[in-house]
Amino acid sequence: MSYYDIDSILTDAQKLPCTFELEVPGLGILEGNPGEDIKPGTRIDLPLWLGEMLSIGARLGTSRLVTLDMPDALSERVMNALKAEPRTVDLRALAAHFYSLSERVLELFEEEEMVDVLSETFKRRAAEIADQAHNPRGAVGEGVEFLRGLDETERQLFRAAHDRAKEMRIWSGEAKRK
Amino acid sequence: MAFPLPRGITPSEIAFLAEMEMVTVVPRQRLEGLELLGGLVEPLVPPRRASIPLWLALLLKRQRRANIMPPAWLHPEPLGLILEVESQHQDYKNAFSPPPPLPGQPSVRDRDLEPTARPQYTPDGDRYYAAPPFLPQNTAQPVSSFSREPPALPFHWVEVSNMLLDAASDDLVDPDQIRRQLKDLREVRMAKMRSGVDVLDAAATGGGGVALTGVGAMEVGEERGFVAGVVDNLRKIGASKEQARREQMAEQRANGGYDGTQDEEEDYMEF
Repeated sequence: MSYYDIDSILTDAQKLPCTFELEVPGLGILEGNPGEDIKPGTRIDLPLWLGEMLSIGARLGTSRLVTLDMPDALSERVMNALKAEPRTVDLRALAAHFYSLSERVLELFEEEEMVDVLSETFKRRAAEIADQAHNPRGAVGEGVEFLRGLDETERQLFRAAHDRAKEMRIWSGEAKRK
Repeated sequence: MAFPLPRGITPSEIAFLAEMEMVTVVPRQRLEGLELLGGLVEPLVPPRRASIPLWLALLLKRQRRANIMPPAWLHPEPLGLILEVESQHQDYKNAFSPPPPLPGQPSVRDRDLEPTARPQYTPDGDRYYAAPPFLPQNTAQPVSSFSREPPALPFHWVEVSNMLLDAASDDLVDPDQIRRQLKDLREVRMAKMRSGVDVLDAAATGGGGVALTGVGAMEVGEERGFVAGVVDNLRKIGASKEQARREQMAEQRANGGYDGTQDEEEDYMEF
């Protein structure tokens, strides 16, 4: 993840549910009440970069400002759906940068089982992506539903596989260069 | 991204590298030996066969000054045999057909034999061990050698076959059949490569690996972007688990405990 990586910046902007533990004067603007105070126990969706910084006390063992929760995209319900059939879940609807988000979240939470579920999901979906990418009509046929549900990481993967296959076809003279 | 080409090497670049493979030609005209940077090209005297680089052979072929003898593996029978091994043989369900043996390496049939490297000597008398791409894997061998050695696909099989089918299809035996077989071969091997995704996570977390023995240059080039992307992502997803595992190992080591999972070599390295 480099500093100028746009995907990394967009991942940082994804929301994470946070619960405030302390009263914060004058920060009501986050809740939509400018000028008010934030009461302890308020739940607000904060961007990943902000929530991560505010919760830093939790990891140091001192008093913390907020506690983090799992984002909806990585909830128990989604995990069960991924366990059942990875290929039918619309990851893009859950989070546009699903895998990057889960990487960051997994750094914050210790979730061994989630790592396994996500790895298995990614593998199953990657095999499907490869098949679709090498099939010239994959993007317009029945695969369109699956391809629409790819997250940003998977789209890049699809693009890499598809472009390479296309270059090969052009080189070998099977397809015309456009 | 400003640079328009994707990372890695493009098909035409791989094909360019393949053009240095030696092929056998039957010249139709006399040509004196050429002293090039890549080495001496032997003089062409019709009708004596000669081994010359593929790029020169293609050039001479286009000018109708030579005929190219197809490489030993680029005939319908050996290709059919390889295709059968790839698609039906039990041992090669998840593996690729073996590459041609190196000099001194025992062939697939008697694999129990110990390999004995056979050195070669330069004109100055220095000893060296030849390895691809400096092995003549695309020259036409006498037909009798088929009985001795099972046919195998060389490293640059996709490129060489494609270029020969393109420029010298009239020199090949039954080019349409060969074209069909090559297409089938490519599809079978591509499918195997993609099914390898299942074992890639073992490769990503260390300790595992995927056997790519016998995979050609073009196939590597084609799958590079995809496979590297998959491995990289699996590594990122598994990063926290890997971190936990390392911390655990470091803790155990700090406590002086021997958990039995470390092998002896590691202990030996430590002390």
